Amino acid sequence: MRLPFMLAALPAGFLLLFFVIPTAFLLSASFIESDGMVPTGGFTLENFETLLASRLYRSAIIRTFVVGAAVGGLVVLLSYPLAYYLVRTQNRWRNWLIALSLSPLLASVIVRTYGWWVVLNREGVANNTLLTLGLIDQPLALLPSVGAIIVGLAHALLPYGVLTIIASLNGLNPSLEKAAMSLGASRTRTFLSVTLPLTAPGIAGGFLLSFAIAISAYATPAILGGPATEVMATLIRSFMLVQLDWALGSAMAAVLLASAIVLLVITSLMGRRGEQPATAG
Amino acid sequence: MPRAVLRPGRRQVIGGAAAVLATPGIVLAQSGEQLVVNAYGGEFQEVFVKTTIEPFEKKFGVKVIYDDAGSAAEDYAKIRASRGAPGFDVAAELTPPEIFLGARERLLEPLTEREVPNLRHVWAKSRSIIPNTGLVHTYQYTALIWNKKTLEKPDSWADYWNPSAKYGDKVRGRVLNHHPNNLLAIYALIMAAKLKGGGVDNLEPAFAMLRELKPFIGATVQTSAASVPYFENEQVWLSPFWSARAAYYESRDYPFGLTIPKEGTIGLANCGAVPIGARNKKLAFEFLNFRLDADVQRAFNLAYFSSPGRRDITDWPESFKVAQITTEAQMNAIEFPDSEVIGQRRRDWTRRWQEVMA
Repeated sequence: MRLPFMLAALPAGFLLLFFVIPTAFLLSASFIESDGMVPTGGFTLENFETLLASRLYRSAIIRTFVVGAAVGGLVVLLSYPLAYYLVRTQNRWRNWLIALSLSPLLASVIVRTYGWWVVLNREGVANNTLLTLGLIDQPLALLPSVGAIIVGLAHALLPYGVLTIIASLNGLNPSLEKAAMSLGASRTRTFLSVTLPLTAPGIAGGFLLSFAIAISAYATPAILGGPATEVMATLIRSFMLVQLDWALGSAMAAVLLASAIVLLVITSLMGRRGEQPATAG
Repeated sequence: MPRAVLRPGRRQVIGGAAAVLATPGIVLAQSGEQLVVNAYGGEFQEVFVKTTIEPFEKKFGVKVIYDDAGSAAEDYAKIRASRGAPGFDVAAELTPPEIFLGARERLLEPLTEREVPNLRHVWAKSRSIIPNTGLVHTYQYTALIWNKKTLEKPDSWADYWNPSAKYGDKVRGRVLNHHPNNLLAIYALIMAAKLKGGGVDNLEPAFAMLRELKPFIGATVQTSAASVPYFENEQVWLSPFWSARAAYYESRDYPFGLTIPKEGTIGLANCGAVPIGARNKKLAFEFLNFRLDADVQRAFNLAYFSSPGRRDITDWPESFKVAQITTEAQMNAIEFPDSEVIGQRRRDWTRRWQEVMA
């Protein structure tokens, strides 16, 4: 009884000290009045009013969640077939292939994102290739764009999706699929009716993990985005570190945190509802 | 008397070993003073270390730890977050808005001729454009840079803000714009507003011009350093830029030229300050004083193409005198907008800029 308590106390204490207390400070700062960037100490809701009244800031909030959902969806779409192949293949290089699929984690997200910048910028590899092939006359404006941010983040977060779905596929009892096929189900029907529902927790996990990281990502939106593609993280950085408007930055951070928690709870509840029949089956 | 037998326990052994391991650090810290100086990285650092840091270390027999992290605003954010004890003793590269904030929030030490005797040599303007919580060690101004191979030399701020009038459609997608996170963007907007009768008090004409400029913008960057690759690989051809850095690159055969448009320009005061919680304030004041030393000023400004912070140096090379602020007449010709107003309105201007660019 004492050991589990001790084991939980250490990480709980760490979280309290380095997450809960700083977050509480941050949230309290969002209610502080400021005069020309200098906090004056009075209580106000004006910071939230400023954020929610501005179409610009509302768009950034919505864009953040659109990017998060798109990245989560793309990560799941790309990582499921890869994870499926890696789990089912008899290839003797299987372990190497798994390591290869996780290798993006070895490179810094900055390096990977600048790689995309090199590919997508006006004079980049993508435009040069299309021009050489005669498919376009003028370089396409691929950067800055929301699409580039989504692609960059999905690439960076792909290993997280692969890992969670591999874990889910490994936990699947193969006899269930054999039973379905022995009862006459085709491969496709077996996959859609047995494999996919039973690996739904892995899909939900991959989506949630990617979504949560994507909505708070700063580096990729900062490098591949621009003035028309601001997301909450880039605005928070601008408020806090450039405009030195900590009250507004804290308010934006509070909105990000609160809305992320609400969305994650909803998604996780939906995932749990989807999980129940599969478990029962 | 029986002799005591010392049998150290495991804790004592580990503690002793830790003490032994820590000793060299203690000895080093006690043998010479250390000063932590925060300033820019990149090519600035190379020049600054050679012309200022190393001579300072030699003269005072101290070790300077160079902290190259952060922009001026980010450095001030650290000062504020740590309530004046950010871990560096000298904030060597702040701008006027941060000096005003430091005065209002009382997070920067007031500087007088008692702490910094060389303050008696600074320009009169240096005392009026910022409060005494900082000093101006060098000056720059807002210039226009252009690709010499593809464009004619721009003469006016209108050539940047309305580029099609002079250059036609070939400049579409070739103009570089700066985010208002960079003071350079604010100064360029003020010059745009002045073209249409506005100014710091009324920036609306500038936002109208920004809207017209938008189709011609090929890239938007947050820092002046970030714009250099775009010019190097000739993706963009025209941009506002800080004079010192531009002249530095021009001297190294980068493919662009530097000019002051006919309507004039806005000056940038590069400021130094000491946070109230600096560990080594005495040495920090010595450093700021040393930065204003005539020989140090000469060496740094000649190498970095910036203008001096003191008025009494007259033996500059002719080419330097032409391009830099070295006389009272030149100093009086440069405009310095009210940085307190800029600080207070920057949030609204940034939002207006974002609305236009979104």
